[in-house]
Amino acid sequence: MEALDPLLTRLRAALPEAQVAIELNPAVPAQSSLVVDRDQAVTVARWLRDDPQLRLDYCSNVTGVDWLETTSTEKVRVRRVVDGAEQEVEESVERRQPGYLEVVYHLYSMALGHGPLVLRQRTRNRVDDTRVASLTPVWRSAEFQEREVFDLFGVRFAGHPDLRRILMWEEFEDYPMRKDYVEPDDYEHEPTPHDAVLVKARRH
Amino acid sequence: MDEGLRNELSKQGVFTTTLQELYNWGRRSSVWPLNFGLACCAIEMIAASMARFDIARFGAEVFRPSPRQADLMIVAGTVTKKMAPLVVRLFNQMPEPKYVIAMGACAISGGPFKQGYNVLKGIDRYVPVDIHIPGCPPRPEALLHALLKLQEKIAAQPLTGEHRPRHLSPDVPGEFPVPAYGPYDLQPAKNDDVWRPALVVRTDAG
Amino acid sequence: MGGTDQSYLFLLVMGVVAVLFCLTPLALARVWALLVSPAKPGDEKNAPYECGIRSVGEARVQFHSGYYLYGLVFLVFDVEALFLLPFAVAYTSLPVGAVVAMLIFLLLLVEGLVWAWRKGVLHWQ
Repeated sequence: MEALDPLLTRLRAALPEAQVAIELNPAVPAQSSLVVDRDQAVTVARWLRDDPQLRLDYCSNVTGVDWLETTSTEKVRVRRVVDGAEQEVEESVERRQPGYLEVVYHLYSMALGHGPLVLRQRTRNRVDDTRVASLTPVWRSAEFQEREVFDLFGVRFAGHPDLRRILMWEEFEDYPMRKDYVEPDDYEHEPTPHDAVLVKARRH
Repeated sequence: MDEGLRNELSKQGVFTTTLQELYNWGRRSSVWPLNFGLACCAIEMIAASMARFDIARFGAEVFRPSPRQADLMIVAGTVTKKMAPLVVRLFNQMPEPKYVIAMGACAISGGPFKQGYNVLKGIDRYVPVDIHIPGCPPRPEALLHALLKLQEKIAAQPLTGEHRPRHLSPDVPGEFPVPAYGPYDLQPAKNDDVWRPALVVRTDAG
Repeated sequence: MGGTDQSYLFLLVMGVVAVLFCLTPLALARVWALLVSPAKPGDEKNAPYECGIRSVGEARVQFHSGYYLYGLVFLVFDVEALFLLPFAVAYTSLPVGAVVAMLIFLLLLVEGLVWAWRKGVLHWQ
């Protein structure tokens, strides 16, 4: 399969209004991915599926990621007046990155035998604007997996034909795979508690 | 009839028995399990019913597809919280006398998934379990052993008196409350008449 | 001995024994339930069996009459497969007459299907 950079160039030429970026993966597998804005996700997905060089006709996996709010401190050099004279000083700035939910699609081409291409969509935040576009109209195999992501992460897929819980029961109110999920307090005695269970055991 | 006279009679070729023994012999020799499996333990249960292990030797080969005809529920596998009400309802729909074997670590306690949000910490929270088989999954021999233990248990059940089993006492109910799906967990989280958490005594020593 | 009367009497005795043979276990079971093992019916227990899911409606449901027509048409294909299998196994060594006979048989079945089709059996109201 062609590299992501020329692919992105062609994609931008074909769909000038699409907001797509490359998310680099610095880890060993170096599997970088495309991050697509939710409003153009369906058109971009359709292009990926129908483009004769790509023909990504098979969505093998849909999964969710919960990114909590992070704060990072950065050292920035700024010019400032110190003791009457202007100087360049180093200052640490705290940067807050709001949390968001992410949906990751792994795309393959059965026709051309290549893949995977990793496609991501992000929600604006984790609380009230958790909407992304459903890609089920493009790849039918995404239907149940998107339902699972909705069930466990609470991502709302706009345009999904049947968005209901799939693993938990209908009356369930929480999203258990979110990082701030608090499970029901029904700890039971464990003879050899460790790690997270040890923390629970100490509380009881 | 005392034991000595009975022995003497059997030496002379006269077989004597009691109604209770006849009744229990009949029940324990044809324990028909309910045909259902929940997870990987069910594969071992299937293996136990096939030729190599042959559960038919102990009269339990007739796996019934309907609870109306079953005597034994082998809870073979992980009971998720979504599945738990269904399992309890199936048990309720079985006619008395009925027995439960909790097969494998998951059915006993939740097993490796015990601290998860979606797995019931043991089916004995809702139904009375007669035999627990440890293992993940237990070998078919372990299931056969459990069946033999259950047969011993049935053989020892008195027909009358204070210690008679549940199905012979008119005032003990044969149905168990089915838990409802709640917003965060099953409601109630356990049946207090059937199961109470183990009492853990903590000491500072040692 | 009045031969004919006697033989009818045997029949009567047989009938009585047969009825008793059926009724005795039932009566014994009833007596057993009364004396030792009480029946405990309940709402959950008597509900129609639906694999443990809360049951909806009655256990007795009426099937649409189209279902039976559908079943008959299915039977046509079922029988056809039954005859086609040995035919296919022995196909290479069969004389021409046998193959023609089989084709006629197939044609008859297809004719039946076409007839059912035109009658609208395959359309579910």
